[in-house]
Amino acid sequence: MDYETLKEHWSEIEDRDGVRLSWNTFPSSRMEASRLVVPIGALYTPLKEKSDTPLLQYEPVSCKAPCRAVLNPFCQVDMRARLWICPFCLQRNGLPPHYKDISSDTIPPELHPSSTTIEYRLARPAPSPPIFLFVVDTCQEEDSLKALKDSIIMSLSLLPPYALVGLVTFGTMAQVHELGYTKCAKSYVFRGSKDYTAKQVQDMLGLTVAGLRPNVPPQPGRAPAPMGPSARFLLPVQSCEFQLTNALEQLQKDPWPVANDKRALRCTGVALSVAVGLLETSFQNSGARIMLFTGGPATEGPGMVVGPELREPIRSHHDIDRDQIKYYKKALKFYENLAKRTAHNGHIIDIFAGCLDQVGLLEMKGLSNSTGGHMILTDSFTSSMYKNSFARVFDKDANDNLLMGFNASLEVLTTKELKVTGLIGHAVSMNKKSTSVGETECGIGGTCSWKMCGIDPTASYGIYFEIAAQGGPNQMQTGPQKGMMQFLTYYQHSAGNYHLRVTTVARNVSGPSGDPAIAQSFDQEAAAVLMSRIAVFKAEVDDGPDVLRWVDRMLIRLCSRFAEYRKDDPSSFRLEKNFTLYPQFMFHLRRSQFLQVFNNSPDETAFYRHVLNHEDVSNSLIMIQPTLDSYGFDHEGGQPVLLDSTSIQSETILLLDTFFHILIFHGETMAAWRKAGYHEQEGYENFKALLEAPKEDAKDLITDRFPLPRFIVCDAGGSQARFLLSKLNPSTTHTTGSYGGVSQTAQTIFTDDVSLQTFMDHLMKLAVSGTG
Amino acid sequence: FAQMSLSGQQPSYQQPSYSQPLSPNLLAPGQQPIQQPPAQAPSSQLNQLYGSDLLSQPFDVRELDLPPPPINLPPNTSVTPSPYANCPPKYVRSTLNTVPTTHSLLKKSKLPFALVIQPYTSLHDAEDPVPVVPDQVISRCRRCRSYINSFATFLDHGHRWRCNMCNLTNDVPQAFDWDATAQKAIDRWQRPELNYSVVEFVAPQEYMVRPPQPLVYLFLFDVSYAAVTNGLLATSARCILESLDRIPNADRRTRLGFIAVDSSLHFFSIPRDGGEASEPTMLVVSDLDEPFLPTPEDLLVNLSECRANIENFLNKLQPMFQDTTNAGSAMGSAMRSGHKLISPVGGKMVVLSASLPNMGYGKLEMREDKKVLGTSKESTLLQTANSFYKSFAVECSKAQISIDMFLFSSQYQDVATLSNLPRYTGGQTTFYPGWNAARSEDAIMFAREFSDYLSAEIGLEAVLRVRATTGLRMSTFYGNFFNRSSDLCAFPAFPRDQSYVVEVAIDETITKPYVCLQTAVLHTTCNGERRIRVLTLALPTTEILSAVYASADQQAITAYFSHKAVERALGNGLEAAREALQGKIIEIMQTYKKELAGGNMGGGGIQLPQNLRGLPLLFLGLIKHVGLRKSAQIPSDLRSAALCLLSTLPLNLLIQYIHPKFYSLHDMPDSAGVPDETTGEILLPPALNLSSERIVPYGLYLIDDGQNQFLWIGRDAVPALLLDVFGTDDRNAVKQGKTTMPVLDNEFNERVRAVIEKSKDHKAKSVGSWIYPPLYIIREDGEPSLKLWAQTLLVEDRADQSVSYQQWMGLLREKVVQ
Ligand SMILES: [Zn+2]
Ligand SMILES: [Zn+2]
Repeated sequence: MDYETLKEHWSEIEDRDGVRLSWNTFPSSRMEASRLVVPIGALYTPLKEKSDTPLLQYEPVSCKAPCRAVLNPFCQVDMRARLWICPFCLQRNGLPPHYKDISSDTIPPELHPSSTTIEYRLARPAPSPPIFLFVVDTCQEEDSLKALKDSIIMSLSLLPPYALVGLVTFGTMAQVHELGYTKCAKSYVFRGSKDYTAKQVQDMLGLTVAGLRPNVPPQPGRAPAPMGPSARFLLPVQSCEFQLTNALEQLQKDPWPVANDKRALRCTGVALSVAVGLLETSFQNSGARIMLFTGGPATEGPGMVVGPELREPIRSHHDIDRDQIKYYKKALKFYENLAKRTAHNGHIIDIFAGCLDQVGLLEMKGLSNSTGGHMILTDSFTSSMYKNSFARVFDKDANDNLLMGFNASLEVLTTKELKVTGLIGHAVSMNKKSTSVGETECGIGGTCSWKMCGIDPTASYGIYFEIAAQGGPNQMQTGPQKGMMQFLTYYQHSAGNYHLRVTTVARNVSGPSGDPAIAQSFDQEAAAVLMSRIAVFKAEVDDGPDVLRWVDRMLIRLCSRFAEYRKDDPSSFRLEKNFTLYPQFMFHLRRSQFLQVFNNSPDETAFYRHVLNHEDVSNSLIMIQPTLDSYGFDHEGGQPVLLDSTSIQSETILLLDTFFHILIFHGETMAAWRKAGYHEQEGYENFKALLEAPKEDAKDLITDRFPLPRFIVCDAGGSQARFLLSKLNPSTTHTTGSYGGVSQTAQTIFTDDVSLQTFMDHLMKLAVSGTG
Repeated sequence: FAQMSLSGQQPSYQQPSYSQPLSPNLLAPGQQPIQQPPAQAPSSQLNQLYGSDLLSQPFDVRELDLPPPPINLPPNTSVTPSPYANCPPKYVRSTLNTVPTTHSLLKKSKLPFALVIQPYTSLHDAEDPVPVVPDQVISRCRRCRSYINSFATFLDHGHRWRCNMCNLTNDVPQAFDWDATAQKAIDRWQRPELNYSVVEFVAPQEYMVRPPQPLVYLFLFDVSYAAVTNGLLATSARCILESLDRIPNADRRTRLGFIAVDSSLHFFSIPRDGGEASEPTMLVVSDLDEPFLPTPEDLLVNLSECRANIENFLNKLQPMFQDTTNAGSAMGSAMRSGHKLISPVGGKMVVLSASLPNMGYGKLEMREDKKVLGTSKESTLLQTANSFYKSFAVECSKAQISIDMFLFSSQYQDVATLSNLPRYTGGQTTFYPGWNAARSEDAIMFAREFSDYLSAEIGLEAVLRVRATTGLRMSTFYGNFFNRSSDLCAFPAFPRDQSYVVEVAIDETITKPYVCLQTAVLHTTCNGERRIRVLTLALPTTEILSAVYASADQQAITAYFSHKAVERALGNGLEAAREALQGKIIEIMQTYKKELAGGNMGGGGIQLPQNLRGLPLLFLGLIKHVGLRKSAQIPSDLRSAALCLLSTLPLNLLIQYIHPKFYSLHDMPDSAGVPDETTGEILLPPALNLSSERIVPYGLYLIDDGQNQFLWIGRDAVPALLLDVFGTDDRNAVKQGKTTMPVLDNEFNERVRAVIEKSKDHKAKSVGSWIYPPLYIIREDGEPSLKLWAQTLLVEDRADQSVSYQQWMGLLREKVVQ
């Protein structure tokens, strides 16, 4: 197959199974595998929306313990004996009695060859309806608090009426609102400066009141409390909407006075710990979202990220680099512990930040990253970026069910030639050992099972594999030998029951050493994204320069291994089609905000990395290497152009999509004409249309985007143009002068970054020297 | 200046008449001069000793109603001829109305020298006003800081005055004779402080550490299961609601706050009237270890500005907690929070609780053990169980916070420990054992008392100091306050229903014919005015023991010893307290016998001077009092509450508490129970000795100790009597126990009710009090426990573990003769 056909094939598989692999043929030996440089990995989107697969309304047929693999199209089924052989453990299993009527003509859906991904609706009901606990910062100006309150009130109409809701507000202190209390507004108040233990929180909320009750005679005519003590705080929307709306509407700015030279006291840490504690007792392993809305950094109590003195600035990357920060490590530890607890409970924490400055996302990132929560970083709760992104959280499917799964976990099974080494994405290890667990670790390793808590249809996970030490042909199989993986995703569906999504992946194992099939099976896009996740994972713990060196080294080694060249002759360097874009991806990855942090705040870095770890291959690639389209009079519609400074021309309009930003840039002439208002004059309809075209396309881009990107319209020479310039390949920097026939109108970028050309030159030189 | 005429003869102390009208400018606007002229015999003669024999002339309890021996000052002792120049006994009583000149004579007398001070005689100024010096001209001695008074003398053409305490000559202030408002000279001799021994000065700026604080009431409601089910919460909330107009608020600065307490603290933020919000917000704090205020706003709100929303809140308070099952009480933590809330201002914390504080700060244990009652170990139950209650009380005193405890538990509540808070903060402990609002008498009684309590015009940020003639020294102070320095008693709030005992030491020989003792109470009125109430008492001196005895005030002496007995009971135990009382009365009688009766006990009787004839009976009353008597049946809470009353009650109520009033009703004279023709006051029947010998089987009696009233129906009471009094001739149909008198349309019923009402009349007793004793109906042949209870008040009877009056006298005689 040629590359284009392969790409199409992989794309079909992605549509069907939500999986893209870096290598689509598995090496047959560990030795061979070690020379791949890029590990075998899968970028998997478990809940990818598919219209064609039926939802099976019965329990899956599973292999014996401990294997527990689920019956799938790759299983050998003996129709007469009603037996099936598990490809993972090679055990024979009987088919259950109700499969007695199957034949080669009538097979159950899970055995159909196209059912490599299938979903079961399990009989196990969720222990409680989904829970939404709003945690609202009141240290805000009236207008932004108002906007925030409105958005939350609006969201109530988006929730299923049986969903449980609760409200925690915080400022100097944290308050849990007792929505079940109707006599007056009532809330439990927690000191903002104190690190309450889970037990204390529960005692103080009266969730563990046993022993305090006198012998109360049963009160005739009084109904017992419906659901235990926590029902006072978490109630179905339909029964407390009035109460909650009231509570939200009455919400005032934090009443404690703030001096001019001080920040408001904001006890985000206590509020979250109280929220987590509230759910912990009564709703462990019930689907729940804690939605934090914060308008600034925590300045009080555990988890504070900056002191209340305004003259004390909030930490920057430089401060962290120099280890010059008072609160960072303590806060990080506090939130990490909280994140662990939350994940253990199966709950989700979303962070919505509405603040021009930082709010401490860096410290709090674990809360969302470990629990599958969202992280939305916006300037203000009045912004449309916040409002739209928040509303998108409550998107629904065709059956009017929320597009979100709760309390999710993922288990990976492999046939014996493969072992799983880890996962990179928003999940925590469940520390489950099995024969599928590999010796090495990549990302969150040492387990075959992870807990994600929150999961949505676009949530994608990087899962990494190694080739088992004892490889060998599988005697039971006929035809080409296949390596297989099975992904089992259990989650609480928003409609109420638990679901199981099963994706079974089978790929050929290569022939003897030197099989060209391996190189041909390289999916450079998936590989780039999988490598990016590793790089970012490393960047979280290692020094920036070390990570960059690692990226370079891996690229050089990959090129040394798979390029065609004569040793020590860079000009002879050639890459196969399915490798050619990979170095560019790496070039842009190196320059991206994911690895070059100093142009961003620590909060932004945390946010960008969070989003990268959530998205599928194509979205991730946009983040790594933004797309650039040019609009001009000489052609209809947008035309992709190089992400290069040469693409800036005075008579064109550019549309840049970095995933986080969508930017429309008017070249010098275009800007001048627009300023002059030509598009409003008769006879300039084509100019008007030209101005509109990128806007229309931008709208299309935004439609499916979450979080909503920041939208920037700017002109050549304007200050906002820096967003564009920072993304472009500096082929024309102030140091290069005129280079490679670049047009005189091209924009000069003031940067010391190397250009793509220089980068490639170095790469080729090093790759062919064999020193990589 | 006219001299007053001699009048009256011993021992019937007639009041002198004084017809000169008071000049109106002596009084504050709206006040009527209703001070009664004191019993002051303007004779230089000292009181004569009249011995009497208690066996041959048995003590008649009506003698207890006689006024104390008169204070016979030398002529012209006071600078004006005003009959009000010396302090009336309703304000200050001295145990000795003639003071020994030396310490040795006092010691020899075995009598105590102490003042019983009751700075207020009513809950409201208007009921018993005192003259006010409004012009802020306050002349005080440079050396001893005494206030100029009617016993000062003027020298140097009236330009200087000599201090009657320390003899220092001081300048008379320029403004002393000048009315700044009217811009004209005034007659110095009309100045109230020279005519009245009890006056109030309006204090200028120098007397204020800070601007006068507003009146603050912080209510701490117990909202646990016990307090909700016994109706305490509902009754208190409704009562406060209905009393909002009675809470002093003339300056519209009064502030109220509310905290509800179970295992958590519930704060209420109450919005201002007329704003967007009218509903209260409940903020619950469960952090009992470090209680804090959940919001900086609206927890302590202005009564006038938030009146409607306060009413709304009080209407909702009961429903808010009606479904509770919570049995916790974190009252200690609540009080800590309350302290935080009001300490910037100070004020009253009003605790209404039906539970033992069993969580948080000052957590208490159920420590009462029935087996311990009546043993020597019982006394530990009367002591403080947790040091928090003392240290916190001192903290409160410093922050000008006074605590009143209203206790309602039907189970052990540790009154002993809780009462420390009022004790050191000028507050009061009030105990309602077994109270339940379902019983209408309980609900009505408490509502009435609590409403009167709320209406009282308390003083704020007060200090009391007693200064005296050189040679005298205030050595010990008794009462509810914090003794801030050797002679300064601090009262965050000054109540109007308590009295104080101050023991006086004679450090140097007194050479003057009389001494002066001046009590000053600096305080802020609840209208935000800084004032000093000054009470100046002059007493003659003597070197003769008989004169000391002849002027001894048996009631004041009893008050002094009841304080000593409480002190000893808490410190050394009940047995020790009783023994000390017995020892003391024997000592006094021995001294009298040996020193004054010539060792002769003629006829084997027991002799005491006329004016001390009641002392053995009063001491017996104390020994047999519920607070002190030997018994294995008295719950320690009841005892502790009684001890609190013994150490705070104003003198007249205290004596009645020790020695109840006992009236026979079925045969009361025609004049009794109807208004006196001249005064319009209801006349009471003659008081009877507290002996069951006085009870006839067909009779109807009232026994009243000021805290409870018992209406006793003899077992043979005739149907006609029952029909008249109760509206039924069937004795079994008369409701026993706590009840209300039926109102019937017949003369006898009216008279009985009039007597019962009059017996509670505080005004007639010259005391400020909001206690409204409940009435128990007791049938001689009915409920035995009720009957037994009433019988314990018959002090002269023999009872379970204590002696009859006769036995007591026999015992005393035996000891005295030895
Ligand atoms: Zn198996
Ligand atoms: Zn003096």
